Amino acid sequence: MKMNLLLSDIYWVYWREIKKFVQQRARIIMAFVQPIVWLVLMGNMMAGLTRNPMAAKMLGTGSYIDFMTPGVMIMTSLFGGVMGGTSIIWDRRFGFLNKMLSAPIYRASIPLGKLLAIGTQIMLQALIIVVIALILGVHFKTGIPGIICLLLLSAVFGMIMAGISLSLGAVIKSMESLFAITNFLTMPLMFTSNAMFPISAMPGWLRVIAGLNPLTYATGTMRTIATQGWIWDSIWPGVLFLFIMIIITTSIAIRMFHRSIS
Amino acid sequence: MDNIIIEASGLTKVFPGNIRAVDDISFSVKEGEIFGFLGPNGAGKSTTISMLTTLISPTNGHATVAGMDISKNPYKVRLAIGYVSQDLAVDDALTGYANLRLQAGFYHLPKSEVSNRINEVLNMVELQDRSKDKVETYSGGMRKRLDIACGLIHRPKLLFLDEPTLGLDIQTRREIWKYINHLREETGMTIFLTTHYMDEADSLCDRIAIIDMGKIKTLDTPANLKSSLGNELIEFQFSANDTDKINAAIGIINKLDFVKSVSDVGSRGYIASVNNGEASIPLLFEALKENPVKISKILFKQPSLDDVFLHYTGREMREAGGGKENAARNRIMMRRARK
Repeated sequence: MKMNLLLSDIYWVYWREIKKFVQQRARIIMAFVQPIVWLVLMGNMMAGLTRNPMAAKMLGTGSYIDFMTPGVMIMTSLFGGVMGGTSIIWDRRFGFLNKMLSAPIYRASIPLGKLLAIGTQIMLQALIIVVIALILGVHFKTGIPGIICLLLLSAVFGMIMAGISLSLGAVIKSMESLFAITNFLTMPLMFTSNAMFPISAMPGWLRVIAGLNPLTYATGTMRTIATQGWIWDSIWPGVLFLFIMIIITTSIAIRMFHRSIS
Repeated sequence: MDNIIIEASGLTKVFPGNIRAVDDISFSVKEGEIFGFLGPNGAGKSTTISMLTTLISPTNGHATVAGMDISKNPYKVRLAIGYVSQDLAVDDALTGYANLRLQAGFYHLPKSEVSNRINEVLNMVELQDRSKDKVETYSGGMRKRLDIACGLIHRPKLLFLDEPTLGLDIQTRREIWKYINHLREETGMTIFLTTHYMDEADSLCDRIAIIDMGKIKTLDTPANLKSSLGNELIEFQFSANDTDKINAAIGIINKLDFVKSVSDVGSRGYIASVNNGEASIPLLFEALKENPVKISKILFKQPSLDDVFLHYTGREMREAGGGKENAARNRIMMRRARK
């Protein structure tokens, strides 16, 4: 019975976020435009790279755009995820948070519903990227089961980032400060990962940083699934890492949210 | 014997920085009445509502709302009450209907009843024909009505309205008053509201507590509050800046048998509460003959809630919260309220 109430509360928080998302036409359009720009532009620019057999070996595939697609998916979930904290700041600013808190709902349902909504949005964006990639001739080695795994992993990674962003949003309470912190985080995270550039082509010091970057785990795992096949030895550590991370970040988000309202 | 629906005793909230937003207040609200908290910004009205609606916990003291302790049983309190904050907290990006649907979901209303309830509250605030439109197309008054409708969806016993007409124009304010009065007539619901508008408290409330600097200064019906000041007032201002002379004159006026009390309103202005009508004015001049002080302005008036406020707090509502210390206090309170 209590579980039912919690699920119902999560559902209504989620319902609100999704309802708002689907009404924002600009966001939906951008979800299409962004991957096209990334894949077409970057894919074209770097296409010459794979003519070099040495580079092709480093990329692990004969086509840069194949290499790039999982990277674009993960970047989309990174950007989508770090924006997650804004909704809680916004709700606090215009009083909706208090309205929810004065209703008989479980407090934890607010961060959980928001996180799930962000996961869903990211999954949808990832699906759009896959469709565009398929149109552009990208080959997914593991077929439809692989694509489903890619979508789930994008969502999980996005929710990890959103958990961090929500925790920050609960504490700092100012939109501008949240943007400053997330901007500071996203660019270095992206450029010190293997999202756009293979690790084997990095200088030694960058390789060390890339090895510590959660983005690298997510991208590496997804890239293996997309371009190499079901190579479990290189898939499961990344998956395990992501699942541990999502449990940690979600718990922190709930804890921080509780603290910010008491 | 009236049923008591809110009982607060010794309720206190101290914010970090030792700001005593609410300082040891006790009062009770009877079932079915419209009870008002009247006071300037930063007086502690919203903080009191936040405690009664379980949004923040009191530092000291306790209160029962609808028979349940706010600290021990917050979940049950939330089920029994409706809360409409001063923020116009409706979601702009959703339709009016969706806002209400969401609220129905938060209160776990059975699915079969949801559309009936939504229609019922839409009727109550006369928004049926706009329910399919997004809230961003609504006027300020319509948003407020929708917000009130959200607070009614679960048919609460008790409705909290925090500054229900803040920032609305005068026609819209009257319209909201109409809905509030109507609501009470139709449902017999108890309404607890806060306001810093005298006319609002006067026209809506059965009983008013005047709150200032976190303390309840007085509590009674609007009529009793006004008559407690005597029926008439004389407001006058000295033109000379001679403190000794003014003090001597005030001393004389205070001793006159038709003068009940004299209060200082600043800038050499005073208000005397009198009991023999307009005849007081010539009598007052007569009395000051021995000790002549120039008076630049004098007028006779019937008391209003403004005067009641002044009488109990020693300052006028519009000046309340002036001064550096108060400004700092208000800033902190506003930041609190906003977060």
